[in-house]
Amino acid sequence: MKKLLYFALALSLMLGTAHTAQSAKIGLMGPMTGSWASEGAEMKQVVDLLAEELNAKGGVLGAKIEVVSEDDGGDPRTAALAAQRLATQGITAVIGTYGSAVTEATQNIYNEAKIIQIANGSTAIRLSEKGLKYFFRTCPRDDEQAKVAAKTIEKLGVKKLAILHDNSTYAKGLADETKTLLEGNKDLQIVFFDALTPKEQDYTAILTKLKETKPDLVFFTGYYGEAGLLLKQKKEMNWAVPFMGGDATNNPDLVKIAGSDAAAGFYFVSAPLPKDLPTEEAKAFLAAFNKKYGHPPNSIYPVLAGDGFRVVTYAMEQTKSTDPDKIAAYLHNELKDFPGLTGKISFNDKGDRVGEVYRVYKVNTEGQFILEP
Amino acid sequence: MEQFFQQLTNGLAVGSIYALIALGYTMVYGVLKLINFAHSDLFTIGAYLGLTLLTSLSLTDRLGPLWGVILLAAMVMGFVALAGALLDRVAYRPLRESPRLSAVVSALGASIFLQNTVMLIYGARFQVYPTDILPKTVLHLFGLDVPLVRILVLFVSLVMMFGLYFFIQKTRIGTAIRAAAIDQGAARLMGIDVNRVILLVFMLGPALGGAAGLMVGLYYGQINFTMGWGYGLKAFTAAILGGIGNIPGAMLGGVLLGVIEAMGAAYLSFAWKDAIAFLVLILILIVRPTGLLGERVAEKV
Repeated sequence: MKKLLYFALALSLMLGTAHTAQSAKIGLMGPMTGSWASEGAEMKQVVDLLAEELNAKGGVLGAKIEVVSEDDGGDPRTAALAAQRLATQGITAVIGTYGSAVTEATQNIYNEAKIIQIANGSTAIRLSEKGLKYFFRTCPRDDEQAKVAAKTIEKLGVKKLAILHDNSTYAKGLADETKTLLEGNKDLQIVFFDALTPKEQDYTAILTKLKETKPDLVFFTGYYGEAGLLLKQKKEMNWAVPFMGGDATNNPDLVKIAGSDAAAGFYFVSAPLPKDLPTEEAKAFLAAFNKKYGHPPNSIYPVLAGDGFRVVTYAMEQTKSTDPDKIAAYLHNELKDFPGLTGKISFNDKGDRVGEVYRVYKVNTEGQFILEP
Repeated sequence: MEQFFQQLTNGLAVGSIYALIALGYTMVYGVLKLINFAHSDLFTIGAYLGLTLLTSLSLTDRLGPLWGVILLAAMVMGFVALAGALLDRVAYRPLRESPRLSAVVSALGASIFLQNTVMLIYGARFQVYPTDILPKTVLHLFGLDVPLVRILVLFVSLVMMFGLYFFIQKTRIGTAIRAAAIDQGAARLMGIDVNRVILLVFMLGPALGGAAGLMVGLYYGQINFTMGWGYGLKAFTAAILGGIGNIPGAMLGGVLLGVIEAMGAAYLSFAWKDAIAFLVLILILIVRPTGLLGERVAEKV
């Protein structure tokens, strides 16, 4: 009896390894737990859906794609461990992650292991300035975003600007870049530049202080949770100043937290929402996502993770290989205007996405995000 | 000057919530000499439970906002008190005779367990309270804009805190709690059922913590499963600031901490708000190691 059991075990192990040899592995690293867990959970939904669709069409290079996901907890230390675990599992490329500081902790691990990394929500400038050969990202950089933000602020005719960040790598980077860009403008005065502590619920103290400086516009570069509370508490203070946010405020929960009356008139700079993309790919993706999960994607970053997945599987198909050098060379040099879910995708030699991706949105009185012309 | 008073009201509102949570830390410490790290997660549970009960029973539609919220508060406090009792039974009581470190480790474990349970049940996304329950009136008092809700939060917190204070000071059960806090062995000899006293402490503190969670949910509207961490840390600090184990101390510490933070944010940098709060704590501990209202207790030899 026991012998039979061992035999069965050995057989199943053999079958198991035979099975994995036939499939190509793509890693997904995202914040499945921790403060950004909602982003991570949706990243997994998006990538799982795309992998399923791809496998239904026969996979890549005649093999099924297997998605191996690891949780980085939105925390650099956890992320480094997650990257080490992924790096030992024979994956060709890894998608992720969200958060610049978190990505930074994993970059060298993947680079040394010769694994292609395509980040989806890490916009800090320095990530691609290190000259890492296998690093790419589908999200644009903070300096791109800051350019659009500065242009919008000037267009709105702001004379006194308050800038508020949350000391995270991303928010501080965006705030600093925007400040530098606007310092050359003589008609514009930056009357406030400071940070708040994220994850608190009472921001009346900083709002009171901000109000004293009488700005025409407050540019908050942090995340949607805090932005929603700021808008709500600003309204409770009877303060009518307009607010503007960066792309981390692009989330429908912003309106839920603030209430649509308080969120109305809020501007934000962001990569386009899937609903605002007229391409066939985006429409098909939205329909499929809706069908599988019963609601459209909440945030743009998981969709950008989907773009990373599509780009890398496409490159594998085109180069007919899983060799990281060939794929990296293809992505750097040959991939041009790939029809991504968030628009056309090409990469420059640093691995950054080329082209203007950012748009300006304004929240209307019903709490919908309307693309500004 | 106007900013000073506006910040004072800001600080008082936050501080009163810190104080309510701090009571739970201080009571458990007073009786068991244990820091109940899971207390902040009971606060989170209060916030989530409040949302679930509110939306699933539609209390405010049936009873109107006032009675709806009162009934809701009673239910939340009751359930969180039961959760507190359960926590004591599962995580602390088996370790009563063990070294104190085991109980502390158990407290940390319970905290992580509860936090992740909340995340698994409700998801990691922010949850949002309906915005139309509390009145949105903003009072204009002496040149200050003060939302009515903020005064309500302060008022309800104070009522609860003083209610607890009189309960502890004036009732027989309160006397038993105080006796058990001084010397459990002696209290037992006097015929006090110490285990029941501890159970009661583990119900009273969480009930107030749960109420604080509900208030935070109703007032700020946005809750998330990690919210207990920040509030818990501040409330714990407030308890130490006022003198841990001392009930009026926890109230004073909480309110004081809220005001110090708001003032630090106003007149120094906002980003340094937390650093200032903890710096004050360190300074007080250097000058007065027992905290503001703590008394020097002779150690048993």
